[in-house]
Amino acid sequence: MTNFTLNGLNVQVEEGTTLLEAAKFYGFPVPTLCYHEGLSPYGACRLCVVEIGEGPRAKLVSSCTYPAEEGLKVRTASTRVLRARKMVLELLLASCPQSKVIQDLASAHDIRRQRFKQEYEDCIMCGLCVRICEEQMMAKAIGFRNRGERRSIGTPFDIKSEECRLCGGCIYICPACQLRCTYTEPEKAICGACANLAPPCVEKEQFDDMMCYMDPCVACEIEKK
Amino acid sequence: MEKLLSVDEFVDFRRRVLKKAEDETEGLTLVVCAGTGGQASGSNDVIRVIKRYILDHGLHEKIKLRITGCQGFCEMDPFIVVEPGQHLYPQLKMEDVPPVIEAALGGYVEEDLIYHEPGERRTYHSQADIPFFQKQTRTILGNNQTLDPIRIFDYVERGGYGALEKVLLNADPERVINEVKASGLRGRGGAGFPTGKKWEMGRASGKPGEQKYVVCNADEGDPGAYMDRSLLEGNPHLIIEGMIIGGIAVGATKGFVYVRSEYPLAIKHLVIALRQARELGLLGDNILGTDLLFDVEIVRGAGAFVCGEETALIKSIEGEAGEPRQRPPYPIEKGIWGHPTCINNVETWANVPVIINRGAEEYARVGVPGSTGTKIFSLVGKIKNTGLVEVPMGITIDEIVYDIGGGPSGRAKIKAVQTGGPSGGCIPASMFDLAVDYDSLAKVGSIMGSGGMIVMDETTCMVDIARYFMNFLKDESCGKCFTCRKGTQRMYELLDDITKGRGTPEHLELLEELALAVKDTTMCGLGQSAPNPVLTTLRYYRHEYERHIYDKKCDAFVCKDLVGAPCQAACPLGTEAWRYVALLEKGDYEGAYRVIREPNPLPSVCARVCNHPCEEKCRLGTTGEAPVGIRALKRFVTDRADPAAYAPPRAADAYGKKVAVVGAGPAGLAAAHYLSLAGHEVTVFEAEDKPGGMLIAGIPAYRLPRDVLEREIAALLDDNVTLELNTALGRDVTIDGLLDDGYAAVFLALGAHRSRKLGVPGEEAEGVYPSMRFLKAFNLHGESLARGRVGVVGGGNSAVDAARVAVRQEGVESVTIYYRRTREEMPAYDEEIEAVLDEGVELVTLVSPVEVEQAEGRLAGVKFIKNELGARDASGRRRPVAVAGSEYVAPLDTLIVAISEEPETEGIAAAGLDVTKWGTLRTDPKTFETGRPGVFAGGDVVRGPDTVVEALADGKNAAAVIDRYLRGYELTIPPEVRLPEVFVAPAEVAEEEEAGAGRAAVLHLGVEARVKNFAEVDQCLTEGVARQEARRCLRCDLEFTQTEAEPEEVVAVGDKQE
Repeated sequence: MTNFTLNGLNVQVEEGTTLLEAAKFYGFPVPTLCYHEGLSPYGACRLCVVEIGEGPRAKLVSSCTYPAEEGLKVRTASTRVLRARKMVLELLLASCPQSKVIQDLASAHDIRRQRFKQEYEDCIMCGLCVRICEEQMMAKAIGFRNRGERRSIGTPFDIKSEECRLCGGCIYICPACQLRCTYTEPEKAICGACANLAPPCVEKEQFDDMMCYMDPCVACEIEKK
Repeated sequence: MEKLLSVDEFVDFRRRVLKKAEDETEGLTLVVCAGTGGQASGSNDVIRVIKRYILDHGLHEKIKLRITGCQGFCEMDPFIVVEPGQHLYPQLKMEDVPPVIEAALGGYVEEDLIYHEPGERRTYHSQADIPFFQKQTRTILGNNQTLDPIRIFDYVERGGYGALEKVLLNADPERVINEVKASGLRGRGGAGFPTGKKWEMGRASGKPGEQKYVVCNADEGDPGAYMDRSLLEGNPHLIIEGMIIGGIAVGATKGFVYVRSEYPLAIKHLVIALRQARELGLLGDNILGTDLLFDVEIVRGAGAFVCGEETALIKSIEGEAGEPRQRPPYPIEKGIWGHPTCINNVETWANVPVIINRGAEEYARVGVPGSTGTKIFSLVGKIKNTGLVEVPMGITIDEIVYDIGGGPSGRAKIKAVQTGGPSGGCIPASMFDLAVDYDSLAKVGSIMGSGGMIVMDETTCMVDIARYFMNFLKDESCGKCFTCRKGTQRMYELLDDITKGRGTPEHLELLEELALAVKDTTMCGLGQSAPNPVLTTLRYYRHEYERHIYDKKCDAFVCKDLVGAPCQAACPLGTEAWRYVALLEKGDYEGAYRVIREPNPLPSVCARVCNHPCEEKCRLGTTGEAPVGIRALKRFVTDRADPAAYAPPRAADAYGKKVAVVGAGPAGLAAAHYLSLAGHEVTVFEAEDKPGGMLIAGIPAYRLPRDVLEREIAALLDDNVTLELNTALGRDVTIDGLLDDGYAAVFLALGAHRSRKLGVPGEEAEGVYPSMRFLKAFNLHGESLARGRVGVVGGGNSAVDAARVAVRQEGVESVTIYYRRTREEMPAYDEEIEAVLDEGVELVTLVSPVEVEQAEGRLAGVKFIKNELGARDASGRRRPVAVAGSEYVAPLDTLIVAISEEPETEGIAAAGLDVTKWGTLRTDPKTFETGRPGVFAGGDVVRGPDTVVEALADGKNAAAVIDRYLRGYELTIPPEVRLPEVFVAPAEVAEEEEAGAGRAAVLHLGVEARVKNFAEVDQCLTEGVARQEARRCLRCDLEFTQTEAEPEEVVAVGDKQE
């Protein structure tokens, strides 16, 4: 067992438990986006950062990937954590304003302005689809390609993958295109709490490239451009 | 090569090789650097010529040729070092090689080709004496020169594999680890983790018998850094030896060298070296017959910057995409395929044999506590001696940059160094006394990094630098962490906005907030250090960001969208120099005159005495050639064109307010002119009996003929302008009086007419004159004050003017200028200094007056003290320091004090205006407002002694502000970027013409003809020369004015002919 301090509370967890699992277990809310219980943690979205250590050596780490260590001092909602989290959300919102998931998170964290140039990206590269495809569907039909600005997700050489069984897991798990909000005012794309229940694929013409790697898609049966 | 089967055989083998090397007398050897840098500079040609020469002359027995890896002095490549004697012949061309060989054979030094400092005559016969090498401690890098990297015998001859022998003879891993720990060696890859500690952890890590790995990280990705490359290229066995020792210490049986594919020569040499080591039995199963097992494999990286990060590197070795992962677990616990992996940088491995050979204690003697040993830096950028330097830790940046690096490569001063590549930070010149070690660098916000050191001078824009690095990082981020991937993109976006003139104060705030968030929320070292270039430039160069945002100015003239044409941007008046030069080339002199006259009320004056900032910034000049002679071309146009060609536009609505301008110098006259054009009635009050201010009182007629000046001033005095001469502020009029008299606004342009005193005893003696008094007496009243032996103290333009006037006066025997620094630092214009020396004036530098000696109340002589150059000040200039006991007396009959001028503001201060400690008026820099409403000021009274063109610009801009004031508008005019707008077709210049054209020389009146009179010295260019000179212009404006490629002629389908 590992003993450590969580928000001032002395806690004990099994060895190998991540900070996120511990926080959840003890009831401290930590927002996540790229984390899913059934998948291995990846640490891409940086939303789940928590502060560890003390004094000048204190730093932020992603709680989903960081294992609990003996004697560690963890703070899940310090000023530094909240400030960083807000910036992450502001960046997310600027890139992917139509995602209902991101809008809700932004709203919950009191994001009132969005200062970056608005983009309408379909993907935040959280890798949930890649992981569900590999770990749960045992398919490895899709993966990451390239790096930096040109990073993208897709099938090798953009050819329909023979491994793909059209399970739809990727589109099911995607936080960016699931329940895509069609937003009435694109420039102020902070959630107006509209209940949008239409599947995103229906409005496919509005988006250049859906995060759907199935061809044809079983949800909408529209052939991919 | 025979395989060595036991440690004893190995020991014996080494003895034999070393003995043989000792017995052989040092023959004549030519050493040629053929690292990647050397080859790029042409060392292969040099090698070819040497080989041919040796073959042709049958010199195999007499001369040896050693082809080595990089030796570090890359600026001088290709070069030959002749051993023994260490004669270094730099930057050789193919035809230079035979004389060098002949000299080597003849046992003499070829003086014409041997090394000398750029710009100096003194030659250096031995490499060791060259300043570049003197302050270095080349423990690691020095070996590169002594061996051919593809010959293992060369390495063994220099004592190579001696450390391995020591370790094998006493095969106790713990002892090796303790030795490395005691040495204090820290990781040379940048983070500085103690190597011994890592090894200890590595030894303890893993289950008994578990596979372990050691890795040499040669994924050197920082732009401008190439020390790892040079080590691998130049001395691969050193790295292999280090890795074998490391493998033994940690208990690893397998080593990887992760090297970028961009380093083909390094890979080639490493492959050869590994093969040789295996053949000799140093690698493989049962090393030297022992039960030790160790081999090294090369893994080629595909060039991703992030693969230098250890967890990404592991992924890459495993065959996956290079993406960092969370640490812990650290690679030393779980690395390649989950096994303990000890990763060290190339340079770290290279240090290991040195530690074992010398002993930890001896090793730790170099450097400072906490950072021991030496560090190799690649010194690049705006530096004279580009190359690799190896210095003891704790040396100051100042020593690296100036003593080893030789200072700036161009004329611009060094502003900062960037250490640690894209992850590092910029350290400003004011902090160059900083010791270079891990902790000091971290303290100022930078990092040691792998050792890139990029030197930047004043022509480097720090905002642009931050943008450059962010552009690099947004491509090289692996993209896993959202904040690194998107954060670098967004930082780039914000920086790009600022460099393009779209920046707002919010940009700065957001940029800083974002940079801190990215630093905080990313997983690996790349993301955590990615904001460093932004954060350090924001910390030390925030004023540059603010200049870009608030004033829309890039002072380094880098950001294209803020600069436009550099000549135009450099001119305080915004004169479109490119445009009149282009029109001149076409022969449209009247058009050119209109372009010149429109922004400048005194064009003929500026054509003669302007300090031509346009030429300083001319892109032809900043790219290595002589700048276009813009001022001479302006002179040609103003001399030739009829001023009537330009009629200044007048405001349609005469607003008719009364404005008082005090002072009829360039600032006052310009203000009066533009206020008059705006429809106001202006009265100019002038204390002297002639208008012109410093133009007439200070500048002598041989530079600015009086008829030219008078004509130009007269043209400005129109019906709206009244000139009141012999009316001084304080004596005849007061500010209160003027405001009471119905003047709605007052513009103070009093100038700076009082010379500063020396502040030495005896200065009040007869025969000592302040320069302004001396110049005014002559220029305004024709009175000659100089006689006998004349001394002038000072190094500025007024000192030179005074000296040149004195030389022309009757009864003067000799004139000498005394200056406290050296000639290079004299603020006077170069052409003026040359002219004054031509006219027979003597220049004595590095002296300061300490006392004026008198005889019966009259000057008899001046006691000077000699100076030497001391430490550098913040401007990078070396401060003059008095040499005790070096006083001497110079007998003089006249002494002119010209150290500086200041305005006479005591009277104004009484009127309630704010005066600085330098005696200048304090005003709002943008609106020219003094503390009193309606009272404005500009020119030298605000700036202190400054240039004519700055005064004109002040007057002109103040007029615009005063007009707004009178009309009741907001005073601040929002800054605007003036980009070239008018298209003038470019001249067709053939390539041969372009190559052959040099700057047209301005002809001067011969010394005999000018020295005893006041005829104008500079002559006007002839028409042919002027038009030829105009053709040299690069036409930077076309980038902005030329529309897309001219539409091709449309041929109707039917008209198309075969």
